[in-house]
Amino acid sequence: MSWSAARERVLDCCVHVPEETNWPGWLPRMAFAPRGKAPRGDVLLVVFLRGAADMLNMVIPHGEEAYYQMRPTLGIPRPDDQRAKTSDRAVDLDGFFGLHPSMSPLLPAWRAGHLGIVHACGAPDESRSHFRAMELMERGVTDERGPASGWVGRHLASLDTGNVSPLRAIGLGEQAPRSLRGRVPVTALKSIADFHLHGDLQATARMQTILSSLYQSDEVLAGVGQETLAVLRTLKKLDPSTYVPSGGARYPAADFAMGLKQVAMLIKSEVGLEVAAIDLGGWDTHFSQGGSQGLMSGLMDDLAGGLGALHADLGNAISGVTVVVMSEFGRRAYENASLGTDHGHAGAMLLLSGQVHGGKVHGLWPGMAEGQLFGPGDLAVTTDYRDVLSELCRKRLNNPAVDQVFPEFDPTVTNIFKSS
Amino acid sequence: MSLSRRDFLRLSGWVAGTAAVTACAPAYGRLSEIGAAGVAWPEAGESTFRKLLRLTYGPVPTERRQVAEAGLAAWIEAQLAPEMLEDRRAEVRLRPFDALALQADVLADWEQATVVDQLRRATLIRRRYSTRQLYERMVEFWTDHFNIYVAKGDCWFLKVVDDRQVVRKHALGNFRDLLMASAHSPAMLVYLDNQANVMAAPNENYSREVMELHTLGVGSGYTQTDVMQLARCLTGWGVKRHFWRGQYQFDPDQHADGVKEVLGQVIQPGGESEAGEVLAGLALHPATARHLAAQLVERFVVDHPLEAAPGLVTAAADAFLKSGGEIKAVLKVILLDNLARPEFNPPPKFKRPSDFVSTALRLLNVETDGGPAVQGHLSAMGQGMFDWPTPDGAPDVEEAWASNLLPRWSFALELAQDELEGSQVSLPALIEASAASSPIDILAAFNVLLMGRPPAANVARALSDGLGQSGVDSPDDLAAVFSAGLLASPAFQWR
Repeated sequence: MSWSAARERVLDCCVHVPEETNWPGWLPRMAFAPRGKAPRGDVLLVVFLRGAADMLNMVIPHGEEAYYQMRPTLGIPRPDDQRAKTSDRAVDLDGFFGLHPSMSPLLPAWRAGHLGIVHACGAPDESRSHFRAMELMERGVTDERGPASGWVGRHLASLDTGNVSPLRAIGLGEQAPRSLRGRVPVTALKSIADFHLHGDLQATARMQTILSSLYQSDEVLAGVGQETLAVLRTLKKLDPSTYVPSGGARYPAADFAMGLKQVAMLIKSEVGLEVAAIDLGGWDTHFSQGGSQGLMSGLMDDLAGGLGALHADLGNAISGVTVVVMSEFGRRAYENASLGTDHGHAGAMLLLSGQVHGGKVHGLWPGMAEGQLFGPGDLAVTTDYRDVLSELCRKRLNNPAVDQVFPEFDPTVTNIFKSS
Repeated sequence: MSLSRRDFLRLSGWVAGTAAVTACAPAYGRLSEIGAAGVAWPEAGESTFRKLLRLTYGPVPTERRQVAEAGLAAWIEAQLAPEMLEDRRAEVRLRPFDALALQADVLADWEQATVVDQLRRATLIRRRYSTRQLYERMVEFWTDHFNIYVAKGDCWFLKVVDDRQVVRKHALGNFRDLLMASAHSPAMLVYLDNQANVMAAPNENYSREVMELHTLGVGSGYTQTDVMQLARCLTGWGVKRHFWRGQYQFDPDQHADGVKEVLGQVIQPGGESEAGEVLAGLALHPATARHLAAQLVERFVVDHPLEAAPGLVTAAADAFLKSGGEIKAVLKVILLDNLARPEFNPPPKFKRPSDFVSTALRLLNVETDGGPAVQGHLSAMGQGMFDWPTPDGAPDVEEAWASNLLPRWSFALELAQDELEGSQVSLPALIEASAASSPIDILAAFNVLLMGRPPAANVARALSDGLGQSGVDSPDDLAAVFSAGLLASPAFQWR
């Protein structure tokens, strides 16, 4: 089946269901108050770097003398440092900040104005605990109080886009991340290809009939079960093995890039994808972090290689896509004796979007000199990550209900995204 | 709680009886678990069955009969003394796993894949076959609590020793002993980077997690300064790298001098004893009691216990403090005084992948090698064994797992069709044992086996509608369709 034919058939099941239709009893969407109704905005892709990525070595403040004093071993050489090999030096962005050389695959996006960075950005939480910080950030809350759902989940719940596709929101991986959790069912998807019942045709068909009937009554699982069956039917019509990326894009072979490739497929085949979330782990570099080369550099190869390919592959479709890259907190300004870095405070956010004020490092730089650092020697937070996400919700996701996405948070107005 | 003489005799009866049966005839031992031919396996009330799903990896008919005869409380009492329960069926199957008994320096020369494979198989086999079900449940609890990821550094062989000397040794013992054993465990010191925690610049990783995850709990009042001060106390705690590789050692040359202060306590310079002093205090701290009590209540009783069962958490924490950290004392409050009460009807908990797979294997009387095929399914469901990268361990709340149903359905289909490599299910033997002949009786028998009670009307309708006209010609085919459907059904996902 051709792509367009597949799309038409899939779209058949995605048409808006009018209000007066009897919704099936299993749909949990029935259970809550009518949401704001509006067409969807950009497709949102949330990339979470788990383990607290060292953003000071990803977006390097090479104009900051204190950076090199605190990181005599791990510091990434200045763009004009003649003592270092060119390939080991930071790549200058604006005369003060530079990208780690492993982030170079993102330079075309930077030059096209599709990559914006918010530095010294983070959450108010000072626990320096991965689990607490990840949980609070994915929930989008200040402390344990407040909703247990995720901020993306609340975005989905507060905006009725008329989209009933089972692929409206997906988590790439074993399970959907906390940020997606909420009243709207979310599909956890390891890969398009893996998503089927194994066995002979007759047995799997019979199983699906039985499951469809069994998953009618369980209060919690009926919604998830029916969504899963719907995804099975939809994905049967998509084939990743025949997918050819556009724009000369070459996705690295790593899991992360394979995930991004499938997101690109789903975006381009218009099967109703609105939100995808994907994790990239391994950033807890207490030990042997490496500088221009080494452990963290390899992670950045995965990150930038994947995102660079996604940018090339999407082509003009980037105009309707926003990618947010975030991590639970940054790392200590000075390196430790294990040639790594300990848990710190502020990090940075990367925003890859057709509608970002790109080619620019946003945010107020707090400095790294003595007296400018925060707590035990950490970069201070000057932009709350929710300020950025609030603007993103309003301008890029077409969802004005920021007070429902981030309840009890009063966002400071930023100007990082363009309005449609 | 004390046992009546009659209860005691019954208990002694099962202990001796099972020993005799398995010792002389393994085949009969297998059948005795599902019931003799022509004798249907016992039902259990919904509430009792659910309680047994908390305490076991699926209550097999033998266990249901034991509970029906002696009562749940007496059964729990017996499980709290696992050394008294014969366990030949598990022990026989564990014999091939020679890595389990070896020391770290020997294991270091083995193939990594072999060592990890043996550890994973043995763990699943114990859950499947052991009579010491509550003990295995507690082993799993502490494995999560003191989580170690085998893919980090030398943990692939160090975890074997940790499993034996830390978790299994102290699973029902005293928490202070358990914490001390874990703090001296090379696997933990490597996993949380304390082997890199040296005088020149302390590495805070272990110091933080021991307070946040192992003892006090996040938000309990300790500060960043406390983390840094405990890290200084822990400088020099590490692992030998050459001779006696993989043994704990304290290196005084890497220990930070000076007075430390943790949680308001001044720690005088004492080298290795400094951290020991702090850890001993942490082990029996009131915040630790609360943190552990809440986690145990979450595992055995209800999700989000601080909101759902605050009184029980307080009672369990009090028992912990009063007993000086005795794990059995806490379990008695949670299990005997609360879970076992006949009028208490616990709300359902969502099965984690480990629960789902183990209960399927156990309740369908599957003969399994615990090998790569079944382990691969656990990974696809999101809970590969010893494979949780972050030190918080795999969660045990519904919202963490409920969105990933398809891998469970795939497993159900594969297992019921007897296509899971290394695991054999004998549906004909189960049909024979149930003495069922008509399709509706076979369905009822399998529902009782898997869920403890006959099927609800909608389940019976769904399964009979699904049969259709073709491809299901024999009772065995019928049983395969029913067991796949039931294992994949919503009801089987809860415990």
